[in-house]
Amino acid sequence: MIALKTEEEIDIMRKGGKILAEVLREVIKNVKVGISELELDRMAEKLILEKGGESGFKKVEGYKHAICISTNDVVVHGIPTGYKLKEDDVVGIDCGVYYKGFHTDMAQTVRVKNEKLKVKNLDEVDKFLDAGEKAMWDGIKAAKAGQRVGNISKAIQKTIEGQGYSVVRSLIGHGVGKELHEDPEIPGFLDGSILRTPLLKEGMTIAIEAIYNMGKSDVIYSSDDGWTIKSEDGSLSGLFERTIVITRLGSEILT
Amino acid sequence: MAHQGSFEIEGVVKESLPNTLFRVELTNGTLILCHLSGKMRVNFIKILPGDKVRVEMTPYDKAKGRIIYRFK
Repeated sequence: MIALKTEEEIDIMRKGGKILAEVLREVIKNVKVGISELELDRMAEKLILEKGGESGFKKVEGYKHAICISTNDVVVHGIPTGYKLKEDDVVGIDCGVYYKGFHTDMAQTVRVKNEKLKVKNLDEVDKFLDAGEKAMWDGIKAAKAGQRVGNISKAIQKTIEGQGYSVVRSLIGHGVGKELHEDPEIPGFLDGSILRTPLLKEGMTIAIEAIYNMGKSDVIYSSDDGWTIKSEDGSLSGLFERTIVITRLGSEILT
Repeated sequence: MAHQGSFEIEGVVKESLPNTLFRVELTNGTLILCHLSGKMRVNFIKILPGDKVRVEMTPYDKAKGRIIYRFK
């Protein structure tokens, strides 16, 4: 069942989304050579509490951190460890905030840059990340009342596969609200007819995610922590996500 | 946090249980408990043991599924 949110509920999510956006931007600014994943996690947790929210991910059963850090070939759900970031690591940070009963979800992937060198010639990686971010924005642009989830999926798939990368099939965007994961499912690829996917209505709050690999789309559960998902062929993986609400005029970004 | 999407898989109905529940043997050999989807109920589509069906499953519970299509 897709829950439509009232104006007051959307307003609460707006405030929660603002907290999340500020926290994630601050954490991304601190992604530098030498900082450890756990430090970033603690920083995110501290910032969320300072701004008056609660960590949304801690409410997920079995998960004890405030963020998911997905380095290099880790696709999603990387558990923060003491690993210190090295130059040219591709780090995806996924964070969620729970504010006054509502969740918001946001993710961004960046490359760890060396402060001292001005220009680093890793165009391939930057192109990879830019494609993913553009795919997510294309998906958000396609999200309007009256359109279908399939339109969003088609937009994301077109941008990512157009650049030669592959969309991860087993992981999807989702509705967000009182629960972190709600209906509808918003895959990054179109499977079948657009008309068979759910209709987007005003008041729907959804998290649009672009999850993709440089190589093939297959992913596996790595190690035994039961959470971390890696790309099967070891290629780099990118993750971009924003929470939006469908409005009469189109969509509004909450994070 | 990313969510794992549901997927479709095919199987053969092995037995029918009360309340439109069915035990289905999937193509990979596993036996799962499935219920009939609302669309099939509303359109009065009957399922008997031996029918080949398409089942929708979530990766979060590998023992349950929803029958969404009956093949001719």
